[in-house]
Amino acid sequence: MKRLLFLILSISLLPLMGMAQNCSFRIQGKLSDESTGIPMAYATVYIEELKTGVAADSDGNYTLKNLCKGDYHVRFSHIGCEARTVFLKLGSDTTINLRMHHHDELVDEVVIHEEYDDHGSQTSVSIKKEQMSEIANKDLSEMLENLTGVSSLKSGAGISKPVIHGLSGNRITVLNNGIPQSGQQWGSDHAPEIDPYVADHLSVIKGAGALAYMGSSLGGVVLVEPESVGNDPHLHGDVNYIFQTNGLGHTLNARLEKHDKWAAWRISGTAKVIGDHTAPDYFLSNTGKREFNGALQLEKKFSNRWNMKLYYSEFYTEIGVLRGSHIGNLTDLEDAIGREEPLFTEDRFSYSIDAPRQKVQHHLLKLESNHIFNEHQSLHIRYGGQLNDRKEFDIRRGERTDIPALSLSQWDQFGEVLYRHFFEHDMRLKTGVQFKFVDNTNNPETGILPLIPDYRSYQTAAFAILQKEKTRALYELGARYDYTHLQAITITSTPPREIERFYHHFHNYSISAGFQYEFLRNLKLNFDAGHVLRSPQVNELYSQGLHQGVSGLEEGNRNLRNERSIKGVLSLDWSIRNKLFIQALGYYQYIGNFIYLQPEDEFRLTIRGAFPVFSYRQTDATIGGADLLLSYEPIESIRLVAKYSFLQGDDITNSQPLVYMPSNNLFGSFSYSIKDGEKRKNTSISINGRYVFRQHHLNDDQDFLATPSGYFLLGASAGTSVKLNKASLRFSINGENLLNARYRDYLNRQRYFADDLGWNVNLRIGCSF
Amino acid sequence: MKNAKNILWALPLFSVLLFTSCEKDDPDIPNEEELITTLIYTLTPEGGGTAIEFRFTDLDGDGGDAPVIVNGTLAANTTYNGVVTLLNEAESPVEDITEEVEEEDEEHQLFFTVTDANATVAYADADADGNPVGLATTLTTTGASTGTLVVTLRHEPNKGAAGVSSGDITNAGGETDIEVTFSVVIQ
Repeated sequence: MKRLLFLILSISLLPLMGMAQNCSFRIQGKLSDESTGIPMAYATVYIEELKTGVAADSDGNYTLKNLCKGDYHVRFSHIGCEARTVFLKLGSDTTINLRMHHHDELVDEVVIHEEYDDHGSQTSVSIKKEQMSEIANKDLSEMLENLTGVSSLKSGAGISKPVIHGLSGNRITVLNNGIPQSGQQWGSDHAPEIDPYVADHLSVIKGAGALAYMGSSLGGVVLVEPESVGNDPHLHGDVNYIFQTNGLGHTLNARLEKHDKWAAWRISGTAKVIGDHTAPDYFLSNTGKREFNGALQLEKKFSNRWNMKLYYSEFYTEIGVLRGSHIGNLTDLEDAIGREEPLFTEDRFSYSIDAPRQKVQHHLLKLESNHIFNEHQSLHIRYGGQLNDRKEFDIRRGERTDIPALSLSQWDQFGEVLYRHFFEHDMRLKTGVQFKFVDNTNNPETGILPLIPDYRSYQTAAFAILQKEKTRALYELGARYDYTHLQAITITSTPPREIERFYHHFHNYSISAGFQYEFLRNLKLNFDAGHVLRSPQVNELYSQGLHQGVSGLEEGNRNLRNERSIKGVLSLDWSIRNKLFIQALGYYQYIGNFIYLQPEDEFRLTIRGAFPVFSYRQTDATIGGADLLLSYEPIESIRLVAKYSFLQGDDITNSQPLVYMPSNNLFGSFSYSIKDGEKRKNTSISINGRYVFRQHHLNDDQDFLATPSGYFLLGASAGTSVKLNKASLRFSINGENLLNARYRDYLNRQRYFADDLGWNVNLRIGCSF
Repeated sequence: MKNAKNILWALPLFSVLLFTSCEKDDPDIPNEEELITTLIYTLTPEGGGTAIEFRFTDLDGDGGDAPVIVNGTLAANTTYNGVVTLLNEAESPVEDITEEVEEEDEEHQLFFTVTDANATVAYADADADGNPVGLATTLTTTGASTGTLVVTLRHEPNKGAAGVSSGDITNAGGETDIEVTFSVVIQ
């Protein structure tokens, strides 16, 4: 009651106070493009409370004069840009310099000027919130696919994992909120348990050694980063609904946030219900999906020197696996491969999800305490706890279909202490220690011998990264040490069943160096190189049993040693007359002791017939490639983009190509933006095409089936926003595979059994206030 | 700065707590009741006589030790009544899996594919829909010969597809639960 009274009082007094005080404050600043640094000429700056605004000049400078003391929401917008609103308690002349997100495609940013930048000279690419909301019905990995050099390893329509420069799974780390995501990453059909909608920012570090992160950075790092709640004392939020025609899917997202006196908070949630997807000629029976996620973010600033953050998220998904891709033995596989239409294809659509299916639940709790001692030193303490529960159901005899065939629970505890020191002469140090504990348990309810054993792993690490900035150059040096103790408890494969314990100790040393040089304001060069080790994971050491996916018996190898990688990345950013932007990135990676699954000559006889044996072996491998991006803006409203990714992986010991390397691909788009009207903002239409080349770099005997032919996918999209009083509505439509092309993708395991998805249109309505 | 020192001191303590956890408990060995370890195809001559047994045994399931296969010798120009028995001998007492198949007979079908040997197999049983199951069969031999007999158990086959009810596996689909190969000598 007291609070309410105060509120009424302060609102009624506000105009009086306004009159009584001086109204001569200014807000000024400069707007520039985040990716290129080019000034944003004639951008609009608008104060929502006063319903007035100004346009920036040709150099991106703006000034708002004669403002009274008060609270304002200042909105910055520019044609073809994601508008940004800044909340401000105006009490003195204020400068706001904003770097706006103008070039969606120029994502190969190497941000170094932000104080709290974590990426250093690492080459990274990212996706922003507005882009993510447009495709909120997609998975994390499908969103990342939009970045050059990133592809997806899929198992049908609903399961995808990111592949960075040809590497995935155990070799890349996904950092959710600063906590290394922990689950059953080893499986090619185990997607990361993350709802990308809760993040405002997704980025991928493609560089050589992102040494500040726990987990393996040998293949790259994916960062999922929710933005800080901010200082706005008003309730804000958004609701987003997407309908997709393929799979008749519904996706609903909602988010609410406010900076209350007691703490700043944000809650968000997602619900997805998608039915059977369709290929151009038939239903992909049992490929539906349900997903229900929620997250809570709390931030409390105790003083200017101390703040704490809490984050909790829950992720739940149930995914159907194409019924026709479930096979019993090699004969079934051969039978399934040759078919026009997969077995068990129903002639009607259904939302129901039957076996084979997956049910996964993931909880993440993060606690963070940040201590700023002075302007040079700060300490950050972070704890993360995760619980991952995965159940996979197969078609089984004797009413056992509802008993999982795989049931794993994993507990994960992570702790880290980071210390940052900003020395004089633009020298920065970031150092830290990290601990991680994983406890993995097979639930015996399955009635099947586990594929991977129960285990515990203890990991301790320390790292230090030193950065030095000179007028046009940035140097970076980093080193990291990891010690892992692994305890595996296996069950013998021959009767009588006995329990055996095995212990492993792994030491990993990693070093990296980076260099960045700005030749001219519009020409920048970045080079980084690193030596990174990765210890073998439990599946590589101890897998044992039938792997339905490859229709083979998989055998771990207890004698595997660390993988050693040396990777060099060279990238160039060049803008020519603010009209043509070129980003080129080339990389080369050598991996010694590269762990891979080798099909053995041996066939092992079981009651289900003979199965090939696959065992984990080590070899020396190289992966080299390039990511190219061209963006041309002849006039302000038109933009043409072309991207090309090229990659080749080789096993140099056995002189043969590496399997499961992404195909080369080419992407082009044309977009036209319409100038903002009185109410209508951010209106644009675009058309795009993607050509994926056939993966020719593979020998015939390396796969059951020849690699699929190249394919072309046509897409188009249109969108507009309408500004209402306090809210903004966004309408957009986005079509995929509009030519309804029949195609199969090399990195989709479903390609043995069925065509990939046919045409799809996504309709989106979003509202933010 | 004093605060920071306190925090730094707490760290090793925290890590000690974290890492002194004891050994992980022994896992429960799952009860593999679904496993089929043994297939026995018993052939009894129609007029009576000694039954001949074809037997496939793999006690540890997929992987592990190699299976044991016992083949039989058949007489020429003879008709046999065939019975298939499925067992899980890894369990004690031994579990009869044949019953599970009988209970779900609409979802199962056995196929008998003879190559080179002069023998034919015909179904002698039916499920509720009148389609064959294959737990009971008749095997008829003609001239002396040698060859192979493949016994396949399919789960969720399409029993209505062309040729399936007469024992042709080509269009059956479904998943293979069993696929064992015996050598056959007819003399």
